[in-house]
This record gives sequence, C-alpha cells and structure tokens, in this order.
Amino acid sequence: MEVQRLSTDVVVIGGGGAACRAAIEVAQKGLNCILVDKGRPGRSGSTPCALWSIQAPFGSKGRDERDTPEQFFADMVNAGHFIGDQNIVEVVAFDACDRILDMERYGVHFKKEDDGRFYQTPMPGQTYPRSCFMIENGQHMSTVLAKEVSRHSNIKVFKDFFAYWLLKNKDSVIGLVGIDMINGKIIAINAKSTIVATGGYTSLWGFSDNPPTLTGDGNSMAFRVGADLVDLEFNQYYGTDLIWPPSVRGTVVLYELMIDEFADGEITDKDGVPVINKPLPIRDEAIKTIFNVIKEGRGTPHGGVYFDTTKSPKGEEAVRDVFKSMTPKHYQFLIDAAGIDLAKEPLEVAPASHYQCGGIFINEKGQTTVDGLYACGEAAGNFQGANRLAGSALCDTQTTGAAAGNWASKDSKSRELIPIDEKDLNEAIDMVRMITAPKTKKIKPLVVKTEILETMDKYVAPFRDEKGMKKGRFIIEDLKSQLKNLYAPDINKYNLEVSEAIEAKLMIDSAEYIFDSALFRTESRGHHNRTDYPQEDNKNWRCHTVIKNKNGTPQYSKKDVIYTRMKPQD
Amino acid sequence: MVNKKIKAKILRFDSDKDKESYFQEYEVEVDRPVTIHELLTMIRKDIDGTLAFRTYKCYKGMCQTCVVKLDGKTVKSCATQVPPNSEITLEPAGGGEVIRDLVVDFKAM
Repeated sequence: MEVQRLSTDVVVIGGGGAACRAAIEVAQKGLNCILVDKGRPGRSGSTPCALWSIQAPFGSKGRDERDTPEQFFADMVNAGHFIGDQNIVEVVAFDACDRILDMERYGVHFKKEDDGRFYQTPMPGQTYPRSCFMIENGQHMSTVLAKEVSRHSNIKVFKDFFAYWLLKNKDSVIGLVGIDMINGKIIAINAKSTIVATGGYTSLWGFSDNPPTLTGDGNSMAFRVGADLVDLEFNQYYGTDLIWPPSVRGTVVLYELMIDEFADGEITDKDGVPVINKPLPIRDEAIKTIFNVIKEGRGTPHGGVYFDTTKSPKGEEAVRDVFKSMTPKHYQFLIDAAGIDLAKEPLEVAPASHYQCGGIFINEKGQTTVDGLYACGEAAGNFQGANRLAGSALCDTQTTGAAAGNWASKDSKSRELIPIDEKDLNEAIDMVRMITAPKTKKIKPLVVKTEILETMDKYVAPFRDEKGMKKGRFIIEDLKSQLKNLYAPDINKYNLEVSEAIEAKLMIDSAEYIFDSALFRTESRGHHNRTDYPQEDNKNWRCHTVIKNKNGTPQYSKKDVIYTRMKPQD
Repeated sequence: MVNKKIKAKILRFDSDKDKESYFQEYEVEVDRPVTIHELLTMIRKDIDGTLAFRTYKCYKGMCQTCVVKLDGKTVKSCATQVPPNSEITLEPAGGGEVIRDLVVDFKAM
C-alpha cells in the first residue's frame, strides 16, 4: 500500500474551535504546523453546531461589573460537582476574556451594547450573566477560525483526512497515520509534538445532537499509545433536543430561552403540566427531571416532553421574535425541514447525547501522560468535572487550545524529530488492508456501528444500573469479536465503508471504556446517574475515574482531584 | 396495500473505474415525507453502502455541506423534503470537482 510521508513541528488532529486555535498559536510562534481535519475546514465537528453562547467574565466591560474570573472559576467548579482539576479550570476562567478578544480580532462578531460593552445573556449556573453572544453562532465562529488558519502560510491543512492511529517510538508519540479520503492514500505524518483536538464521543449514542463524525476517535487513539483517560462516564445530555419528526431529530431547541426575559414558555408533560421550574436548573438537573417524567409514563407520543411556547403570556409574535433574534437559523430550519413553526405549536423534545465531560487526561499545559502528546478542547478530560455550564465548551476550545498550542510549540523548539518506527507504521497500514482483504464471513461496518449506537442508547444513557450495563458490556464484547470480519469493497475515492470500519473499531474500544468507567463509579454525580447508587457520595467518590493502559489492558482506579483556590467545605 | 416509495435516480461516478458518469436507480419504501439527507442515509444503510455522499450534519441548515442538485436545482439535502410516491433525480452540487458520486471537493471555505 502506498504511503505518503510528511514531517512537521506540530501536527494537530481536528478542525473545530480547539484545533484551529491550537494551530494558530503554533503558527504565531513561528513553527510549522499540519492540521488534519476529518471533514471540511470550518464545517466539520461540533463547533459549527453550537449556538451563540461563549462565556467570558468581562465584568464592567460586559453585563455585570460584579463578575470576575474568580467567580467564573467558582461557577465551573460547582457545576462540575467539584471533580474538575482546578489547575486547568484556572486556564479556562482566567484566559477566557483574552481569547474572546483574539476571536474578535480574527473577525468573529459579538453583539455589543450601545456603549461598546459585550452583550451577555444569563444562563443557568452562572452567578452573573456571562454568555457573550455570537450573532451567527458556532458556524460563524468555525468559518472565521478556519479563515484565520488559512492566513498562516506555515499551517498546512489536510481536509477530508481521517486520522486513526497515533505513531509511537519507544516512549514518545511522534506523529500519526491517516487516510486521505479524497484519494484513498495512507499518509504518515512525523511530528515533534502531536495535539489531539478531535472533539467528543457523543455520537457513540444513537440519539445525539452532534454530527455522526464525533465518534471519540481521540480517546481510543490516545489510550492505545498509553495515555491515561479520565471520567468517561460523564456524558452531558442536553435536555431539549427534537425527538420528532425524524427530519429534525437531534436539532437543539434551547430550554434556556424559556425564561421570562426571553420566550417565557414551559417544558411540559403530555398533558401540558409544566415540569421544569424557573429559575431554570443547570443541565444535569434538567435532564433528570425530564427523564423522570418520561419514566413515569407522562411523556409525549414519541418518548419526550413538550417544548411549549404557545402558552407564553407574551403572545405568538413576541415569541417568534425571540427565536428569530436568538436562534434564527434553527427557527428557519424547523420550517424548511419539517414544516414546523415553533411559535405556533409545541415541539416533542428529549435529552440527547451532547458533550463529553471527561476524556484524555491533561495538565494545565495540555500535556497528556505520554511524551509528545497533547490534548485540548472537548477531547481533553479532567476539567469540566461531572457537568459543564452552558457556554463553557466553546470557551474551553479557545483557552485550552491556545495553551496546548503554546506549550507544544515551546516543547517542539527544544527537541529533535524522532523518526517513525516502521513496525508501528506497518501495523497501522495493516489495519486498513485487513478491511478490504477478501474474507469468507463479511460484516458491513454500518451494521456494527448501528448496533453500538443502539447498545449505548439502551444501556448507558444518563440513567444506568449494573444489570443493564453488564448486558450492554457483553454486547460490546461480542461485537469486538466480529471486528475481524468487517469488510468494505476496495474503492480509493471517499470510501465511507472503510472509514466506518475504522470508526467501528475505535468506537468499540471507547464503548468498552465508557461502560467500565460507569460500572466502576458506584455513586451518582452530575451526568452519571446510577439508579442502583442514587446518592452523591463525597466521602468515597469526590475524585476522578482514571483508566491506565497496562500492556494494552485498561485498569480502572480513583485519582485525586487537583484543588487550587477552592477546597470542598467538608 | 400498496407500499409507498420514492424512486431516486442518483448520478454515480468513480473516475478510477468509470469512463463516464451514469444514473443508478434506487427504490426506497417510505410512509412519510423524508429529507434528501434522510433518504440517502436510508439507501446507504439498507440498499447500497458504496453510495458516497457527505454524511455531516450541522442540524440547522447552515453549513452547506449537504448541497445536492434535486431535479437540476441546487438545494440543501437536510432541509428539503420529498414526499412518498415521488420520482427524483439527484446529482452532485457545490461547484467543486466531483470526488465520487455526490461528494465534491469544496474549494471555498
């Protein structure tokens, strides 16, 4: 199989907010960077799906002069149920404002008050309103960042590039292997530092509001080369994603817009009885409430609750204005794709898989536990804790992304390029070769992927128990034994079936780690809810669940949380 | 009871194998209007896994990655519904070089 070889100072895997910001930082430090994006630059990953909200404690330069980075820090630590590592929370909370100003310089539009202060909206869990408003949402942010990346001649971008293997030489990660989907070539990139910014694992679950490409590739790739993973049991569900009709399934409708300041509507059961109180709870509380309503048999015909603006005292026109000014694209999309005007009829919504709170373990510099390997953004794990605030995901892409880019650059300046271990590269090539090789038993990759999605939905949704998880785990084990039979015809150009086969292999690993982490933690906290251990157990479990790679076998243990300025009271 | 379906003629082309592009017809059973994105997903899942199209979804009709020519007119496949008992033609759109089938190499950001 033909392999193209490239080398660079820093290679970044990803194309969203964190990846672009890391690459920009590397370029500004004068180094060479290769960015490999699974899709189109500026239109791939979850960043384009985001709405307007990105947090930064601007204080008197924003909505409320009482807001400070210290307050943002405290809000994040509390929302995370005190298991976010605070050395990294410091980076997010204290760098947020500067990173927003960077974004403005690149060309992102933020809504401003008449006097030039940042317009900021309130969101649950924020002590003071702190969400800056990007008028044209996450898509605009992605396009602007991708444009900024393209301005740097020392960043080479590979689009439609599926990175699936981290290369290692002795104890260091020295680059990656991927498939150029456009022509089917395998490309090996040798780098002094590698930054994983692959986003989350949210599309391992069938009902997700993330694109199907978010299959947690970074987690599996990093684990295979020995990086510690952390807190994988905390998958943030977003409470109100459309569950019906199918053409708009997974589209977000913001429950945060139901407050008096905006639409003043209600989330109700099938009979129209409101089920969520105002002031609105943070996300883990909201989904718990919604799940209980559905479990008690009070759900809508398609298994959700109603997002109902029709009873708002403000009237249809005013409600329509709210959605047209806050989420215009979503409002129009519902009309185009499903013929629904959300100001006129209740929507059926339910919690969907939304954001990976855990991931690859890092320090405040973005360094993982393996030399040469960095992680940032959603792929990085140990700072959101058990739940995250609205607006902190986009914020963390820029803060942790810039930090990883900065420290990876410093590191790369002082090291020599370590060459590729040919045995390792051959293993990576074999992984692809085996998929198209003739075989007697052939299994379609999409069939395995679909079964993984169904198994995750059924057995490790926000409410889980030992019996169910063991069943799900068993199914994953069985699917693992079938991976060798995955088959795809040998097509060079845009071979989706080969990429699905590789995804299936990476997903099986991730699924295994998620189930075992959720089985390991015998308590409930944030987005990990065990119906067999329903209490939060601070005495035994105010800590991380960490997965270490011992000769290829995952080992699960507890790890202390790093506190800096906030220690738990008890 | 007659099953409702959508007949879709889709332009296929793999420059490694095909001298020129050709239409392949697929019949998909549906009982409700579906978006073109849904239809293509169903075809890949149940009929022909080799059909190439960009599976990415932004969930709000903004990213323009899913554009396709429906009966000669460029539309967003995620936001365009097709009713049962339709016969449609799908061709690649987007102004870039065709990589394979409905996947084009978008040059512009």
